[in-house]
Amino acid sequence: MADLGPATAGFAQLQAAFSKGDLAACKQLLSRLKLELTKLPALPPVYEPSPNAQQQLTLARQVLELAVFLSIKQGDEVAFERNFAQLRVYYGDARPLLPPSDQEATLTALNLLRLLVQNRIAEFHTELEVVPPAVQAAGEVAQVVELEQWLMEGAYNKVLDARARAASDYYKHFLDQLSSTVREEVASCSERAYNSLSVADAAAMMMLGSEAEVVEFAAEHGWEVSNGRITFKPAADKDAAAAAAALPSLDIINHCLNYAREVERIV
Amino acid sequence: MKDAAPAEEQQKPAVEPIKPPAVLRSNVRLITNAVAEKETRTLFGRVLRQTAAVRRQLTAQELQAFLASALPPASAAAQQLQEAVKQVGHGAADLDMCPARAAPPPANALPEVEMYAHLLTLMFLLDHKQYELAQQVAGAAVDRLSTFNRRTLDVIAARICSYLSLAHERAGSLPAIRSRLLALHRTAVLRHDDVGAETLLNLLLRNYLADSLYDQAERLRAKAQRPETSRSMQQACRYLHYLGRIRAVQLEYSEAKDCLQQAVRKAPTSAVGFRVAVAKWLVLVRLLLGEVPDRTEFTAPDTAAPLAPYFDLTQAVRGGDLSAFSAVAAAHEAVFRADRTHNLVVRLRHNVIRAGLRRISLAYFRISLADVAAKLGLASVTDTESIVAKAIRDGGIEGVIDHEAGTLEAARPADIYATDEPQAAFHARIAFCMDVHNEAVKAMRYGAGGGAVKEFEDATALREKMEEELQAALEEDEDF
Repeated sequence: MADLGPATAGFAQLQAAFSKGDLAACKQLLSRLKLELTKLPALPPVYEPSPNAQQQLTLARQVLELAVFLSIKQGDEVAFERNFAQLRVYYGDARPLLPPSDQEATLTALNLLRLLVQNRIAEFHTELEVVPPAVQAAGEVAQVVELEQWLMEGAYNKVLDARARAASDYYKHFLDQLSSTVREEVASCSERAYNSLSVADAAAMMMLGSEAEVVEFAAEHGWEVSNGRITFKPAADKDAAAAAAALPSLDIINHCLNYAREVERIV
Repeated sequence: MKDAAPAEEQQKPAVEPIKPPAVLRSNVRLITNAVAEKETRTLFGRVLRQTAAVRRQLTAQELQAFLASALPPASAAAQQLQEAVKQVGHGAADLDMCPARAAPPPANALPEVEMYAHLLTLMFLLDHKQYELAQQVAGAAVDRLSTFNRRTLDVIAARICSYLSLAHERAGSLPAIRSRLLALHRTAVLRHDDVGAETLLNLLLRNYLADSLYDQAERLRAKAQRPETSRSMQQACRYLHYLGRIRAVQLEYSEAKDCLQQAVRKAPTSAVGFRVAVAKWLVLVRLLLGEVPDRTEFTAPDTAAPLAPYFDLTQAVRGGDLSAFSAVAAAHEAVFRADRTHNLVVRLRHNVIRAGLRRISLAYFRISLADVAAKLGLASVTDTESIVAKAIRDGGIEGVIDHEAGTLEAARPADIYATDEPQAAFHARIAFCMDVHNEAVKAMRYGAGGGAVKEFEDATALREKMEEELQAALEEDEDF
């Protein structure tokens, strides 16, 4: 039977440091603790049967859960990904061996949000398939799924609202990043969908604080601002110019050559 | 495909009612000949087909008699199989009554025959829902198989592995055999056992997908070696099906559509279950691509009932009515969850909105955003405005929003024949035909020496020989 003493003590220290917000100390404690965890034989992938296997697994899971939270506090997304990958085993293969964790929904939601923010949509959906229905129904995960839908269909104002309603600081970290992405999206949509827009409306739409910011934002995108109105370049002009320039002759030649080759092969 | 069995079954008895024992004995002879000639692929295919034909009629007594006559009675395998069958056949184990007792049991059996006996027992156990027993027998068979390294065993070995997986799937213990399958797959690849490698890869994919582990499945699929041309149409279909599902989850819809369509096209017509499973995914993928499947695809008599929820869904998406869509999604939620398509259905919401918007933009010259929201069933006008803006940006609809007036002004629909669109559609069709042709050419097999004609003659000669053998076996049977 493995001795849980050092690991438990280390975890207590880590928790204390974490609640005090001493990030540098946390980092040191965590790497020492992870070394300690490697000495526990009941952890994946060995799963050695032992009387206190469940305690070992639970402790390891708690440590990793804290590690994930810690990496968000540090704003270290690479560490987040790594820690969550280590943690995933406990939510997957080791699930039958453990009592359910009350952090699972939160952490799953955060991980999904991270993928969404990093624009890794395919992985987002792959990850979502693995999430068991019970966790998927939990409020936090459902919110992230909704967020993805809003992004897909274009309800950007809701996405920007979501930041204001974010449940915890952990979400805010990611939603801040999402906001700037969304603002760019809104800008590119407005460019095509409106002929002109008043500065005040544009400020509301892009969730910018003041009109001065809008003017600056407009300058970045090459929009004309005059008399309190932004005028976008007519999209039709761009399209027409593009269409005239590109008669897809190269494509047609390629296709024809391809057909000729294929037909020759048949005959 | 297993589903192919009933069709043959119906045919066979109509022509000549063959008793299972005779077929089994002729099969053993076929196997022996095949091993002697070292040409097992085609012959074993025949053996397995014939076995499938009599599978349902096989009784415990007959099986026991066969085991007694084919295997040396003292071997561990014979004892284990007899024991297993005895547990199913209720007290039918009076061996002395069996006619096969008259024939002296062989001193030692070919490994192929031994494995064939294992396979028969496995089929029998699975047909009688003895999954625990089947797992044991299959496990023992696979252990025994690993002691041989004979290419003549490949076909039967692959089949045994798939029954091992099936037994575990029915018992709900798929994750338990994952590492075992991986080890088997490694061995098969190293030994250039194409049939085995292909089968095991499919089993592994199935294993992963059963737990929705799309990530692992994709990684395995991308790294695993596959033979250039598929050895078996069934395995190729399954592979395409799994690949299509993986791609659909990864939002690679066009590739998913290609795979699933090919899977449907290549699947035998009698494999109704498989076709339905693929059709469900195909419908969703096509809807996600913005295509609307034909009504006829849902009305084929044998697939209409299971596809009904998907038909409702298609109608809702086509109509572009969000409330109807939500109603359908809620009404059939249990079905979608059981089919593991629920998450794809959730993704369709976006397509419903697009379809609705397109209708509106074609029908109205100018419409207020509030009306658009009401028609689409969206909650707020602000949302609607940004949704419409995105649709315009993505090219879903043509038009301009007037923010102050709160209206959408649709542009006149462009003449589609003045664009590249028809050319692109035409090209897609030509490419498809070329693809079909190339696939067909690839699928042809030629004999080692000559062209197709010789192969054909061989096949006829082979069939004659086969029939003779069967006749001999029957006569022998009548002697008892």
